[in-house]
Amino acid sequence: MKNNNVSCKEVMSHICDSLGEDLDSPKCINIKSHLENCPSCQKYFNSIDSTITFYKKYNVELDNDGHKRLLSVLGLEDSEE
Amino acid sequence: MITTSNNITEEQLIEDAIAGSKSALAELVKRYEQTVYNFAFKICRNKDRAEHTMQETFLSMVKSLKQFSNKSKLSTWLYTIVSNHCLMLARSQKKYDYDTLENEDGLIDDRNVVDWKFTPDKITENSELKVALDNAIQKLPHEYRIVFLLRDVEGLSTKETGEIVDLSVPAIKSRLHRARAFLRNELNNTLGK
Repeated sequence: MKNNNVSCKEVMSHICDSLGEDLDSPKCINIKSHLENCPSCQKYFNSIDSTITFYKKYNVELDNDGHKRLLSVLGLEDSEE
Repeated sequence: MITTSNNITEEQLIEDAIAGSKSALAELVKRYEQTVYNFAFKICRNKDRAEHTMQETFLSMVKSLKQFSNKSKLSTWLYTIVSNHCLMLARSQKKYDYDTLENEDGLIDDRNVVDWKFTPDKITENSELKVALDNAIQKLPHEYRIVFLLRDVEGLSTKETGEIVDLSVPAIKSRLHRARAFLRNELNNTLGK
């Protein structure tokens, strides 16, 4: 799909470049306009956004045994208040 | 007035720890152990290696605390130690195929754009999704992985990320661009409907 004088490939590349950055340049305004009217680029945008969110939400917790082992390695077992 | 360790500023804790207070050191460790462990896991994708990295990171912190200047945040310093430790390990282990990441045209795949079968709210209960995320990021070279994790996942600024991995802002942007596109393509192969 091609509209607003930018190709989908350009828009997709731009999404990878500038997600989370300010999008106020004339080129960015053109890109945003393309994005609003192009389902394919919207899907691409969503998939990049989801990629980041997936990795943000995938967390692990240090359990109490791991905490104790750490203090022991550091020689701080008896130093907790 | 009762003063608990929770009320003490980080600067004061560092000062006390340098002066020899073990309880101040233990409090600093407690404040950052979860962040360091989680970040190490996000790089290594393995809990044992993440714990080992966390231990090595705090051992380095204890050893070098006197040299820490308050110019940067302690968290930034710890991210730097974890990143360097993981990069050092990676260099001694696996060789990556960088061709995919160097080929700009191949990175942006505009032919296969589909909806994904999972949304980010499903992450905690879905083991298939976790495996897909682990597999995708393990194919990404550490030099790119760390930039993606610091900037996009941990939310550091481009400038802070550059300081941690000793790269310019344009170099960080370039790596971030490639890492995002690479991970998206890998996940698209498994999560695309």
